[in-house]
Amino acid sequence: MAAIEIDGLTKDYGAVLAADDLSFTVDRGEIFGYLGPNGAGKTTTIRMLLGFIRPTAGTARILGTDIRDRDALVAVKRRLGYLSDEPGFDEEATGQEILDLHAAVKGDSRSEELLELFDPPLDRPIRDYSRGNVQKLGLVTTFMHDPELVILDEPTSGLDPLMRQRFAEFLREERAAGTTVFFSSHVLSEVRRLCDRAGIIRGGRLLTIEPIDALVNRSGKVVRLHAAAPIPRDVLDVEGVHDLQTTVGADPGDADATGIPTQDPEEADALPEGADAVPEEADAFTECAFTFTGDVNDLLPRLAEYDLRDLSIEEAPLEDVFMRFYGEETDV
Amino acid sequence: MFEFLVYDARKRVRGSVYLSLGMAVLAAMVIWVYPSFSSSFEEDELLDAYPPQLIELFDVETMSSLEGFLAFELYVFGWVILLGLYLAYSAASVIAEDVDRGRLDTQLAMPVSRRRLLTERFVALGVPILTVNVVVPPVVLGGAVLIGESLSTVDVLALHLLSIPYLFACAGIGICCSVVFDRGGVAQRVALAGTFALFLIESMLEGTPYEILGAATPMRYFDPNEVLLEGTVDPVGVAVLVAMTLGLLVASQAWFVRKDV
Repeated sequence: MAAIEIDGLTKDYGAVLAADDLSFTVDRGEIFGYLGPNGAGKTTTIRMLLGFIRPTAGTARILGTDIRDRDALVAVKRRLGYLSDEPGFDEEATGQEILDLHAAVKGDSRSEELLELFDPPLDRPIRDYSRGNVQKLGLVTTFMHDPELVILDEPTSGLDPLMRQRFAEFLREERAAGTTVFFSSHVLSEVRRLCDRAGIIRGGRLLTIEPIDALVNRSGKVVRLHAAAPIPRDVLDVEGVHDLQTTVGADPGDADATGIPTQDPEEADALPEGADAVPEEADAFTECAFTFTGDVNDLLPRLAEYDLRDLSIEEAPLEDVFMRFYGEETDV
Repeated sequence: MFEFLVYDARKRVRGSVYLSLGMAVLAAMVIWVYPSFSSSFEEDELLDAYPPQLIELFDVETMSSLEGFLAFELYVFGWVILLGLYLAYSAASVIAEDVDRGRLDTQLAMPVSRRRLLTERFVALGVPILTVNVVVPPVVLGGAVLIGESLSTVDVLALHLLSIPYLFACAGIGICCSVVFDRGGVAQRVALAGTFALFLIESMLEGTPYEILGAATPMRYFDPNEVLLEGTVDPVGVAVLVAMTLGLLVASQAWFVRKDV
C-alpha cells in the first residue's frame, strides 16, 4: 500500500481551478518533493489531503484511508505529522504549553531529541517568537509522535542556512528510519538536494513526475562568465547551451588618450586589457550568460585556456525551468 | 479526551478573574448607592419620571426595594446585557479567530474530530460563566448586610444559578457565528449585534402583536425580576435555555464538520 494515492483530485473555486485532476502516488519510505511556484496549488492539494477542504472531484487515500471520510481520517492523524506553510500557534501560550498540548493529544516519544536538534525557546510566549523559531517549534510538534507519514508545506521557510542544513540531515535520517515524507517547496535546489522523486505542479496541473536525477538534468543551470580577454563565440558551441547572451565589456574607443577610462569605475573595471584586439563584436565576447542543460564537464575544458575574471554556475530559477520545458501550453 | 477543554479552560482563567472582579465592583457600587437612592425618593417616584419605553426596555418593575433595584441595575443591565454580549463575543472568536490567524490547521492536523474540538472549546466558556457566578453572589449578599437591607440568599443564589444556562445560550449564538464566518472580527461583530438585537426584540415587542417573536430569544427565559421579586423559578424556562444551547451547539457542529476551512 502506498503512503499517499491521489486519484483525479480536483478543487474548483469557480474563479480558480486550484487543483486540476491530480493523480499520483507517493511510495512508502521515499521523500517526495512537490514543486511549484507560489500559487501553483501545492497548499490546496495538501489541505485536501488532510481533510481541511473537500475535493470538488476525485479523491485520495492517505495511509489507506479515503480523505473524504473525515471520521476515519481522525484516526490516521495519529500516524501523521503535518507542518503548515505558516504554522499558527496560540500567541499567548509559551512554546512549552504548546508542546504539552500536542503531547497530550497525540503522544510524545521523541520531543527531547528533537528539541536538541531544533531548539525553539520554550519558555517564551509564541508572540515573541521570530518566524524561524515558530518554524522550529513546528518541526518539533510535527515529528514528536514519531509519525509514519509526514506532510511538510514549505518546511524550510524562515530557517537560517545552518538550520536548513540540520533539517536536511534530519530528513535523510528519517527516511533511513522508514518515514515517508511529502514536502512542498518552490525552491528547486532544495527539492533536488532532498528528494527521491519530485512532482511539478503549476496552475493546479501536475506537469510531470520525475526521479530527481532526471529533473536535475532537465532543469538546467544559469552560467555567467566574465573574461579578461574576448572569447570567440564558437567556444560555446556546445550541446545544451540555450539563450546565449553576450556582450563585449566596453568599446575600446571610449578610453581617451591619457589611458584613463571615461566610464564609471565599475564598467571601466570590465574593460579588457587587450581591448584593441577585440574581433568583430558578433564573434567574440567578454561577458556572457546562458542556460546550460548539458554536462558541465564538456563545458569547462573549453574555457580552460581563457583568462576568466569570474564564472558562476547557478540553479536556474524555477520559473525559467517551467518556461523552458513546458512553455506556453501550461501558462494559466 | 478533554485536552482541548483543559487547555482552553486554563487559558480562560485569568480573563475570567478580571471579568468577575469587574462585575463584583459593579455589584458593590449598585448596593452602595442604593441607600442614598431610596432615601431621596418616595416609593417609585423616580420610576414614574422615567420614559415608559425605557422602563419597558429594561424590564424595570420597581426600584423601591433592593431586590427591584438590583434586578434592574445589576442583573438586567449587568447579566442579561453585558455578560450576554460578552459571552456571545468570546464564543464568536473560538473558531473564526483561529481560521483568521491560520491556527486552525495545526489543531485539525491533530487526531481530534471537528465535533470534539468545537464542543470542548465551547464548554471551556464555562470558566468565565461559573467564575463570575461564584465570585459575585457573596459580594451582593455581604453588601446587603453592610447597608442593613435584607435579601433572600436563596433567591440570589437561584438567580445566579439560572443565569448559567442563559449565558451558555448566548455563547451558543457566538459559537454559531464563529463557524459560519471565517474572519474573527466579522464573527464577533455579528454575534454582538445579533445578541443585542435579540434583547431588543424581546423587550420592545412586549405587548405588541409581535410579542411571540420574543419566544425565540434566550432573554425571554431568564427574568431577574421574577426570581428576585417573586421568588419564583421557571423550570420550563431553564429547560428551554438548555435546549437552545444544545440546539445551537449541534447546529454549529453540523456546519463546522461540513465546512471547508
